Formats: sequence, structure tokens, C-alpha cells
Amino acid sequence: MKKHIFRSILIVAVSVLVLCSAVMMSIMYRSLVEEQREQLKNKLAIVANGVEEGGIDWLENLTVKGYRMTLVSSEGVVLFDSEADSATMENHLERKEIADALQSGSGESERISSTMIEKTFYQAKRLENGNILRISFTRNSILSVLLRMLTPVLVILVAAIMLSAFLANRIAKRTITSLNTLDLEHPLNNNTYDELSPLLLRIAHQQRQIESQRSELNKKRDEFSLITQSMNEGLVLLNDKGVIVSINPAARHVFRTDASSIGKDFFVVERSSEIRGVMKTAADSGHGQVKLRRAGRRYEINASRIDFNNEAVGTAILVFDVTEKALLEQQRREFTANVSHELKTPLQSIMGRAELIENGLAKPGDISHFVNCIRTEAARLLVLIEDIIHLSQLDEGGELPWENVDLYQVAKETLDVLQDAATDKKVRLLLTGTPVSLNGVRGLLGEIIYNLCDNAIKYNNEGGLVEVSVSGDENKAIIRVKDTGIGIPTEHQKRVFERFYRVDKSHSKETGGTGLGLSIVKHATLLHNGKIEMNSKVGQGTVITVTLPK
Amino acid sequence: MRNKFDEQLALLNRELIEMGALCEEVISMAADALLSGDTELAQKVKPLGGVIDQKERTIEAMCLKLLLQQQPVARDLRQISAALKMITDMERIGDQAEDIAEIIGFLNGRTGRDCAPIGEMATATIKMVTESVDAFVQRDMELAKAVVEYDDVVDALFDKVKTSLIGMIAKHPQDGEYALDLLMIAKYFERIGDHATNIAEWVLFSVTGVHNRENIT
Repeated sequence: MKKHIFRSILIVAVSVLVLCSAVMMSIMYRSLVEEQREQLKNKLAIVANGVEEGGIDWLENLTVKGYRMTLVSSEGVVLFDSEADSATMENHLERKEIADALQSGSGESERISSTMIEKTFYQAKRLENGNILRISFTRNSILSVLLRMLTPVLVILVAAIMLSAFLANRIAKRTITSLNTLDLEHPLNNNTYDELSPLLLRIAHQQRQIESQRSELNKKRDEFSLITQSMNEGLVLLNDKGVIVSINPAARHVFRTDASSIGKDFFVVERSSEIRGVMKTAADSGHGQVKLRRAGRRYEINASRIDFNNEAVGTAILVFDVTEKALLEQQRREFTANVSHELKTPLQSIMGRAELIENGLAKPGDISHFVNCIRTEAARLLVLIEDIIHLSQLDEGGELPWENVDLYQVAKETLDVLQDAATDKKVRLLLTGTPVSLNGVRGLLGEIIYNLCDNAIKYNNEGGLVEVSVSGDENKAIIRVKDTGIGIPTEHQKRVFERFYRVDKSHSKETGGTGLGLSIVKHATLLHNGKIEMNSKVGQGTVITVTLPK
Repeated sequence: MRNKFDEQLALLNRELIEMGALCEEVISMAADALLSGDTELAQKVKPLGGVIDQKERTIEAMCLKLLLQQQPVARDLRQISAALKMITDMERIGDQAEDIAEIIGFLNGRTGRDCAPIGEMATATIKMVTESVDAFVQRDMELAKAVVEYDDVVDALFDKVKTSLIGMIAKHPQDGEYALDLLMIAKYFERIGDHATNIAEWVLFSVTGVHNRENIT
């Protein structure tokens, strides 16, 4: 820019200088020449007069400095010359001014010397005697003037260059300074050259645009991170080089790393064969899935290649915790196996006895015993199926009749039903407490009390006691069933609520249980948002407390 | 230029991690097969060893290409030369795991459980290999030093196995062949421990530029 300004200034200065001097010189030179010619004419007239009167002698005595006088005869012979020897001079008839004078009485011409430095002006006049008087004047030509002017012009030129450089520097500096000190954060608050206003306006506009885009981006990023932060599923995003771009807290927990892993190769964080395999599958076919066991939990890992314009730009890895799901699945499988087993056992015994009777292998006296057995087994099967139906109803959690139930009343009815069984076992039943009403499913509450008491009777010793107490306050209702039975060993206490789990592994038919009773209690209690507490000592008895919120 | 180089170095690092992970897998597999007597599992070791060999070739080619084309200096050179040395050790780990698996086939269904210290030795060796790979992956100097020191534990365990096997031969002379097979396996474990030590030392070298030459076996 400095260069540019410098060149412009210099061009202006030099061209002004050259043009000015050219115009001035040409005007001045011309007027000077004109004036001198006039003077020459006048002098010629004066000298001509003198010569007419005084003859050649007058001329010889005349000394005029700077002017050369020549007298030429009408034949062209030089009669007198004030500066040269007239005898040696050639015939002047050919000279233009002489020829003109001979012809028209006066003539003039100008000639430039061979060195181009001098210019001579001639004026000639025919005298009355036919001779021709010529007067000439020599002066420097325009070229010599120019040559003489060269030095001062050069000095001026140098001065102009220096001045231009100085000015260019200053202008550039001033412009740059004002540009550099512009407050680009607030482009409209600047007090500077008007010429910069359009630029500043444009900057302001662009800044507004950038600002709005940035806030938009920030908003999107915040939304994204908020979503991923609170996700239960782990999410890892990798770029095309396999470097972690984003990893949310859930994924950090699974892969046991922290935020510092962002920017590192994912293999640095996790290099198990499962992950490497699924990454390869995802890279090859676009999607891969694998199961991973980590710290006692099971995860399902989904890796998907992210394509953009038919080019893989990264990988997204989603991590699901499937521990509970897997556990449930396992329980379901076990349940199915158990159900089949439990159903098969009584059926086989029924089948066997029925076959014996059919084939006539049974003695007539035994038939009634066999039929009795068949009936008992069928009854057991019925109880079992009823229990299973109950459980699956609870599992389905379908529409159940919720109503206001008096728990004490329910307990009383249930104990009435169980009275016969208790009498058979020689167990005493005792109900204490006060009427407590709560909102619940009457049938299920009855099931809870029935199953707890049924167990308490079945696993009691002869002459034992089952004590049921119902109590409650504004917030909750409590059912406590206490027995003096055989108790549950500690290692089994946690598992007795599982379906078909029995402390006595022989699945003995003596007590007639199905292994589903406590499971039904658990599910019914959970349906009422309640809690079960168990306190049991082997040989001393069991206390089970069910707390139900109102 | 530098960008491309960095990219290639990252790729090299990734391949090394993969190879290290493969070594961990192959040694765990061999140890599992030994302790459970699962010959089917032992047969899976050999193909995995082949994969490791393949990986060694790939990484070797990558390293040579990098050395030729980029003419690295200082830290980069150390990283690449350390990689070249490390893959040799990793490949040996794979080979020795294969050897162990081969011997398992000759045990006639017996497991390594008859000699308790060999199980310990397997666990200790797996720990060394895993930690040496971890040290490389995380560039963890402390862990690398710990691996180098842990080699003494494996060496001591080898002596323990030897003593236990001598006792076994003395008591049951008919078990001589079995005892010798176990001794071979123990020796392989001990060698794998040495290779893990080497890997850890090369990790130290690639970061610090110092390699304890006297420790090279």
C-alpha cells in the first residue's frame, strides 16, 4: 500500500513538473524569439539608414556587441563582415535571407548550428544601391536551455521523490493506524474515516450472524450433552480413525474411564476381543452386536457405522445394561422347567396307578386305595395349577378389583377356612389386633394371609401355635404371622420367595406344598407396594411381617 | 506431511494394541485349557497364534514403511523401533501359548490342577502380559516398572513348581511323564513372563529413551 501511494504521488509530482516546465518554456521561448526578431528588424532598419548615408565606412566603424553585420553585393559577394574576413567568405547568394531580400527587399531565416546548441537569426534588407545588409544574432537554442535546466530539475525531482516517500509513509501509517485501532467487537462505535463505514457495517452484520449461529450451535451441543449425560445407556461416538469424540457418563462407567479418554483411540480404553470383533463387524457390514460381561453385569453392545456421502465418518457405540433382563430370562426358563417338572410328577403317579387298574394288575382290595391316591394327586395337581394361574395373574397385573378392605375381617375369614387343617396338625390358631381398613384387592390380601398361615401350620410342630396379628396406623397396615415351627435356615431365607424354591429339596409330598405360596405372597405384597420382613430361627419359629401402605 | 505421519503412527499404535490384546487372549485361553483339561479349547489356541503371526507381519511392514518413507527421528524413531522389538516378544508369547496348548493334548485328559503352583503361575503370567500391554496402551511408566519387578514373582513360582513336581515324581514314579510335561508348561509360562518383561522395558524405552541392556535376556 505504501508503495502504491508513493508511486501515485511521485507520478503526479513528476508529470506536473514536466508539463509545467514544458508549457512555460515553450511560451516564454516563443515570446522571447518574437521580441528579438522585432529588435533585430529595428536594428537592421537603423543600421540600413546609417549605411545608406555613411556608406561602408560607417559600417566598418560601427561596433555593436552581439550582433553580426554583413554587407553583401547584389552578386552575392561579401563586401563586409563584422566578425570574419570578408575576402575568405563564399558567395552568399544561396542563403535564403539574401535571396529573399534580393527578390522582395527583405528576408529572414534562422539556422541551428551543427552542435545544436546555438541558433542564429538572420534579417536581411536590400539597400537602395542594390547591396544587401544582413544582421544576425546568435543565441542559445532551446536544447541548451534545457541542458542548463537539467541540474535544478534533477534536484527538484529528488526532492519530489523524497517528499513523496515521506508523504506516502505518513498517509499509509495514518490509514493503517486507524484500521488497526478499529474496535471490531463493536464496529459501530468507531469514530474514524467515513470511507470505512460500509466496511464496519458489513462487519457488524456478519458479527451478528456469527453470534446467532454460535448460540444456535451451543444450544444444540448443550441439548445433546444433556441428553447423553442423563442417558442410562452408554453412548460412545468415534470418528473415522476410531478416536473417541464423545463418551457419556454411563459408557465411562462401563469402560472404567473418565473424560480424559476423549481424543484417545477407543482401543486404548477398551481392547477386549468382543469390542474389537463388533467394531470390525460394524466397519464391514454397518452394524454389529455383541454381549459383554463386565464386573458381574451383562451388557449388550451395539456398534453402528455412521455413513455420510457413502463414506464412513465414524462409529456410534450404544451400551445397554441387560443384567436384569438376562436374570429375568433365566428365572423364566427355570420357572418353565420347574413347572413342567412339578406338573409331571403327580401326573406320572396318576398314570401309573391308572395303568395298573386298567391292566387288572391291581388286587380288587387295593383298587380303592389306588383311586384314593389318584384323587389326592389330582387334587395336588389342581392346587398347583390354581397357584400357577394365580401367579401368572399377578404377573400380568391385569384389571383387579380395588376396594376398601377390612384386613382384620379378611384374616378372620381366612383363619376359619384353615381351622380344620390346624386341628388336624394339632396347631392352635390365634388372631389378635383391631379392624384396619385399607384400599386393596380383597382376594390377594386373603391370599397373603392364607399362604402365610398355611405355611405356619404346615411347618409347625404338633401342639404349636400360630399367632396372627393385624395392626395399623394412618399410613400403613401391618400383618404379622408368628409360628413356633421348625424355622428357616439363614442360607435359605433369601430364596424362599422364589418360585418352586423349597428348603426341603426332596419336594416332599408330606407337607403338600407347591413351593409357590411365598412367591404369591411376595407378588401380592409388591402389587400393594408393600414390604416383607422375615425373622426366623431354626427350631424356634418364624415371624413374617407384611407392611402395606394405605 | 506431519499430519499423515501422525495418522500412520496412530494406526501403528492401534495395531499394537490389537496384537497385545490377542496375546492376552491366547495366554488366557491356554491357561484355561490347562486348568480345565479342555482339549477342544486348547485346539483353538493354534489358529489364534496364527492370527498373531499375521499381525506381526503387518506391523513389521508398517514399521519398515514408516522408517523408509518418513525417516523419523527422536521420539518417533524410538516409538517405531520399540514397536519392532515389541512385536517379536508378542509373537513369541503367541508361539509359547501354542506350545502349551500342544502339550495339553498329551496330558491324556489330566489337568494342571494336580500341581497347585502351576495354576498360580498361569495367573501371575496372565497378569504380567495384561499389565505390560496396559503399560504400553496407557504409556504408564509405573506400571511398566511394576511388570519388570513382577518377573521375580514368576521366577520364584517356577522354582515352587519344580519342587512340587520333584515331590510328585518321588511319590508316584508312574507320573513321571506327566510331571515332565507340566515342567515344560511351567517353563513356557516363565518364558512368557520374560517376554512380558521385555515388552515393559521397550515401553520404558519408547518414552524415556533409556533401555536397561543388562536386563535383556
